[in-house]
Amino acid sequence: MNIAVCIKQVPVSNNVSVDPVTHVLVRDSAENMLNPADANALEEAVSLKERYGGKVVAFTMGPPAADKALRTAAAMGADELVLITDRVFAGADTLATAKALAESVRRCGAFDLILTGSESSDGATGQVGPMVAECLTLPHLTEVRSVEALEAGCLRGVKKFKNSGARVSVRLPAVLTLSYGCNDPRLPTFSSQIAAKKKTVIVHTNEDLALPEDAVGLSGSPTEVVDSFEPEKKKNAAFLSGSSAEIAEKILTLIQEKKGTGKKGADNG
Amino acid sequence: MGKIRVGIIGGGISGTALGYHLSLYDNAEIVLFEKNAIGCGTTAKSAGTVCLFDDSLRNRYWDVRLYGFESYLKMEREEKGSAGFDKTGTLVIATSESVEKTIRTGIALTRAAGYEGAYITDKARIKEILPLIDVENILGAGYTQDDGYFDGTMISNTYARKMQKNGAAVRTMTQVVEIVVTGNKATGVKTSDGTSHAFDYVVDCTGPWSGFTGKMAGLDVPIWHTKAEAFFLSPPGKKLGYVFPVLKYPAFYALRAGDNVFICKSHLSMDLSNPMHAGQWDPDKLPSTGGTDDYFIEFLFEQMKASVPGLVESGLVSSWLSYRAEPKDFLPLLGKTSVEGYILATGYGGNGIIEAPAASRDLAKLIMTGESTPLLEDWAFERLLN
Repeated sequence: MNIAVCIKQVPVSNNVSVDPVTHVLVRDSAENMLNPADANALEEAVSLKERYGGKVVAFTMGPPAADKALRTAAAMGADELVLITDRVFAGADTLATAKALAESVRRCGAFDLILTGSESSDGATGQVGPMVAECLTLPHLTEVRSVEALEAGCLRGVKKFKNSGARVSVRLPAVLTLSYGCNDPRLPTFSSQIAAKKKTVIVHTNEDLALPEDAVGLSGSPTEVVDSFEPEKKKNAAFLSGSSAEIAEKILTLIQEKKGTGKKGADNG
Repeated sequence: MGKIRVGIIGGGISGTALGYHLSLYDNAEIVLFEKNAIGCGTTAKSAGTVCLFDDSLRNRYWDVRLYGFESYLKMEREEKGSAGFDKTGTLVIATSESVEKTIRTGIALTRAAGYEGAYITDKARIKEILPLIDVENILGAGYTQDDGYFDGTMISNTYARKMQKNGAAVRTMTQVVEIVVTGNKATGVKTSDGTSHAFDYVVDCTGPWSGFTGKMAGLDVPIWHTKAEAFFLSPPGKKLGYVFPVLKYPAFYALRAGDNVFICKSHLSMDLSNPMHAGQWDPDKLPSTGGTDDYFIEFLFEQMKASVPGLVESGLVSSWLSYRAEPKDFLPLLGKTSVEGYILATGYGGNGIIEAPAASRDLAKLIMTGESTPLLEDWAFERLLN
């Protein structure tokens, strides 16, 4: 079974900035890691390869530094790595991203299954997986919780359905998006990490994909971001300094201020 | 007796151990300033191994090691868990005749102090203690079963509580932003909350931050940073199923962390002239996790293949990078400086948890009575000026 896994590099923390003009997330300002749900997709892919044979090819789109996510994928068991990178891809929305991913997958041969995480921890749209399926005219299942068996060319599993699960079957080839936490992704080992560093990364630029320039990047993105803003911070933490006795005194004062009572009242209370 | 006012900068193991030992003197008036929380800086990333002997501190300073170990045992007796002791024992591997000689001496010292210790040459017995290691190319192993590792953050907080109980003040979330130097004398500090404090002595206990702290007093503190790059490994099978001892090889050491194994390059194997090992950086820019170099994973891989093959296929759970504060001879910087009243208690490198109690005991004596000790003379700032 040949499996493509579309993965994404995301910021480690929520400490990302927003471009004030385009309103897109500026992701290169933070330390990056493999998107957690994509790690679940990779785990499922490698498990299926172990059960049914074949190969796992990891795809990611991003700047050259996104190579790091591919190395992680290799250390987890991906056999081949494809980095889709070109300045013309910059600013892509979910549709333009899906088009580039789909074209890259298509040019790498026939796959029985295309997996990805159900959503990313930064954008969290959950749209790229189904869009890749549409671009490749394949059936898709979203928010898959488990893959149970391959039977007569169909893959059987359980997908999230409302607050429960639904047992479903899909004819291959198909696209599946895996729910975050649906399995326990394997850890890279010393030897797999070192082997991953030596693996060749296939690079696809738009010259290789030959997509029309108005179909990729910002110009190929119908999504118009009108505004982006940080969520309202509801907590208002303050650090109190001093000795324990002084801090206790300050806490008491704060409580009294909040309650609108004086120290005397509190003492009497 | 007149009060002696001491301001301590830094609330890690160095600052809190010193604060506690100073607080044992009736006429000490102590304020400790910590810009964050107690024991949350380099101390929090320490492995906390305090073995009855190993190669991290020469046997010449064995009394320093014993005082540290027994101070923490006392803490544990007074309040279980207050030093975070995990009694796993220690296995020090003899990879050469010179290491074997050091181990034999260490075992003799251990036994003389009344603790269990043995130099084992029976390789089946060594495998019984630690099944994961390769015993083919070793001469033997020193095994001390009464020791293990402690928790530097717990110890620092316990010392902080004890010193407060003795009347000292501990100001957390309070950064020293200026050291007041009048003439050539440190006379106080100004802090981030806008207050000023007058002192007879100001003590730098800021470890890897000492370069920055010293500059505030007009002093060039000769501290390098060596990288402490650590990995947490999930062993094959994900369960150890036995007590994994503190494991010491000349180039690296390991200890258990729950069902995982913590592994780190030994600080004495760091080369100050190798820019991959050492430099002068800003500890505030360290990430809380990650940040390790690629070379380090290759180094560990080779070490594991040769010495602990049972860990080669371990999963890499997480990693971190910390900076050790190292003078060029890898010994601490204690005592007076060319700035009158400005005292150093820094440069413990990878040995802060081991050395801080004895060093602080002696340094407190120097500050409060003016009397020096052989240890302070050995670890004095002046030695690096010659």
